[in-house]
Amino acid sequence: METATAHVTHHDHVHGHEEHHHEEETFLTKYVFSQDHKMISKQFVITGIFWGIVGGLLSILFRLQLGWPNETFPFLETFLGKWAEGGKISQEFYYALVTMHGTILVFFVLTGGLSGTFANLLIPYQVGVRDMASPFINMLSYWFFLSAGIVMFFSFFIQTGPASGGWTAYPPINGLRDTAVNLGSGLGFDLWILGMTLFIVSSLLGGLNYIATILNMRTKGMSMFRMPLTIWAILFTAVIGVLSFPALLAGCVLLEFDRLLDTSFYLNNIIINGNLLGYKGGSPILFQHLFWFLGHPEVYIIILPAMGLVSEVLATQSRKPIFGYKAMVFSILAILVLSFIVWAHHMFVTGLNPNLGAVFTFFTLLIAIPSAIKVFNWIGTIWKGKVRLVTPALFAIGFVSMFITGGLTGIILGNSAIDIQLHDTMFVVAHFHIVMGVSAFFGMFAGVYHWFPRLYGRYMNETLGQIHFYITLLGAYAIFFPMHFMTGLPRRYYTYANFETFNNFNFLAEFISIAAIIVFLGQLLFVINFFYSIFKGRKVLAEKTVDGYDYANPWGTTTLEWSAPIERLHGNWPGDIPTVHRWPYDYSVNGREYIPQTEPLKPGEVSHD
Amino acid sequence: MNLTLSEQDLLREKTEYTGVHPQKFALWIAMASMSMFFAALTSALLVKKGDYRSWEGFRLPMVFLFSTVAVIGVSVCIHAALISYRKAKFVQFRWLMFFSFLLGCLFLALQLKGWGVMKQGGMTITENLSGSFIYVITAAHGVHIIAGLVVMLVFIVHAFRNRKDPIYELRDIINPKRQLNLELLVSYWHYVDAVWVYLYVFLYLNYR
Ligand code: HEM
Ligand SMILES: [Cu+2]
Repeated sequence: METATAHVTHHDHVHGHEEHHHEEETFLTKYVFSQDHKMISKQFVITGIFWGIVGGLLSILFRLQLGWPNETFPFLETFLGKWAEGGKISQEFYYALVTMHGTILVFFVLTGGLSGTFANLLIPYQVGVRDMASPFINMLSYWFFLSAGIVMFFSFFIQTGPASGGWTAYPPINGLRDTAVNLGSGLGFDLWILGMTLFIVSSLLGGLNYIATILNMRTKGMSMFRMPLTIWAILFTAVIGVLSFPALLAGCVLLEFDRLLDTSFYLNNIIINGNLLGYKGGSPILFQHLFWFLGHPEVYIIILPAMGLVSEVLATQSRKPIFGYKAMVFSILAILVLSFIVWAHHMFVTGLNPNLGAVFTFFTLLIAIPSAIKVFNWIGTIWKGKVRLVTPALFAIGFVSMFITGGLTGIILGNSAIDIQLHDTMFVVAHFHIVMGVSAFFGMFAGVYHWFPRLYGRYMNETLGQIHFYITLLGAYAIFFPMHFMTGLPRRYYTYANFETFNNFNFLAEFISIAAIIVFLGQLLFVINFFYSIFKGRKVLAEKTVDGYDYANPWGTTTLEWSAPIERLHGNWPGDIPTVHRWPYDYSVNGREYIPQTEPLKPGEVSHD
Repeated sequence: MNLTLSEQDLLREKTEYTGVHPQKFALWIAMASMSMFFAALTSALLVKKGDYRSWEGFRLPMVFLFSTVAVIGVSVCIHAALISYRKAKFVQFRWLMFFSFLLGCLFLALQLKGWGVMKQGGMTITENLSGSFIYVITAAHGVHIIAGLVVMLVFIVHAFRNRKDPIYELRDIINPKRQLNLELLVSYWHYVDAVWVYLYVFLYLNYR
């Protein structure tokens, strides 16, 4: 744009129909190297779905082993070859499956996929801006995300297989580049580090864009307290990410130095095959600190966007103002602050000083307060509302249920004295899958069903959506609830055959595996629905037409996203960006079902914020 | 020439909310993020240093003081370049950018020299954690310097390529996008320079 001159500043909008696609869009710039936030959002959601299928499939494979440790499944050998000789998943591959399942779902689906999709879609639409602060960096963010994925995926096809030392990547097992330790500690783990590094870069680039856009570029009248809770949640999520991911990066850098250059940051007196290696002075606990300094905030990076989506969906679909808007904002803020000072609750059994443990217990339990406030407010929001029980609303309500169930076990685990018994057992697996895994998925599904019309101009199929919801809700409880009662059963074991005490859990293990398979198949309904609806879904019909543009507001939302035309438009609004006059939750007030944010206050009416 | 809508919005000099250009704001956030990265590394150092059993103390090589001077030189130089750009003194601008680049390279060379001195003194990267940390920290910082140098080079090539075409150069100065990019680059350099000063002081205090 070398010839940009002063006239552009007052030429702030264009008129007419033919002008709205300024630059020539080729297939490449439109679908591949797109800098348009809506297209990038689509790229994120589809990549996320891909990873969701892969990550889910991996869990089905290791559930086969856990559910039927004595059976063989000949078809596995057909697909997996040497990883499942004789139809039985090998030990090495089992650990790779567990590791990659965790990595993929935590980072690629629930962090990259979830934030990437909704931050890109909703920030510009809901705060009223034509695109991100830097569309170019935004594009880079997606491309780093994609290449991170390609690297991770590639690691499945190398001789020694993908990383297999757990999604938490603890040394010393991952600190040696020696396949005698563990097959996955070879090249597979180097690729893991490379993939994670690319991923971290992606999420930083995304995050700084989100923050800069939200804080600087909101449309006229959109004061902070007129922002929808989705935006608040995304803002705080990005802040957490930008401040905590660097710690993981630092941890990974030191780890890779240990592996490639034989430093001893995390290694000390390692003996392999009877030989004492030369590493001295390091400590794996250092890695745990660096890892969990990200790791704990990470769980909030996952859940906060889901919370934001749920708040918005619940208010809209129950036609009621969100209950306790500011309490919601300050709760997220409290969670943000607290999330940085509780990481050692993952390390109660590392020999942590018990007094320090008490401090971390205290802060950990404090998180229950803002969490409870939020739960209370969601329930308050739907209380006596005219809830439209459409799919997004169902998933949002399901989210609340799951979050309560999982949050309660968090309070149990947060007590260091109790956690010493429960650490690394299936109880923890139950806790974090329900509170993070399933809840965040519910939030994400609520969001996808709710904003699909905005993304593609069509609806997803409602019947399929409802079936999907009930399978997922009942199935998820069937999978994870029994895990609470597998007392003492250690997690991440290949087989429990040598421990007679655990034999009485065999039935539960099988039950869980069957439920997992059903839930996985249920998710395929969502995938089919998603892709079918892109092309064949019921169209969003125009409610009015202005200057040749069609407008609609399918859910009757107050927020800005439907003040833009149905069709995808670079720059979102054909004319001026709308001005905002009121807060985003004017539902069922003044005898009206909803009042859009763009509607000026009536004489005598006081603004809510 | 027509601009796309989003580019028009990006060219808005200021916004009513924070008074800074959003991209500058984004850079500040990136700085916060990078600071967390170096904070993580230096706190890891402190943790391990507290572990007396294994820590082998030694004196920080003098060379790192010289590289500190070099890096401050970059800051001064590139800032002067920005000022001459704003005053449309293009000859000055070009040469100041060029000197900044040279000083940046000198900094890297001195860092390498620092590694050499440590190695000669027997402190190889694997010898002891105390040494390993210096290698890692300087390398991690060096990567940030290299990134800055690459972008700087792009500017320099652009500036020298257009020196025969005064019209073009004049056009450059009224191009707000170019000026913004330059300001972003200068801020970035001030930041990585400041980080090194912090790291130097930190290392100096911990290796006495
Ligand atoms: C009431 C609030 C919560 C409390 C008090 C709490 C407490 C804990 C504690 C103490 C552990 C460590 C258990 C152990 O390893 O022995 C833990 C693990 C975990 N929590 Fe929570 N939690 C809470 C909410 C959440 C939320 C909201 C998420 C995610 C959205 C989450 C995700 C996780 C994950 C992923 C792990 C295990 C990671 C692993 O070891 O692989 N928790 N939680
Ligand atoms: Cu935690």
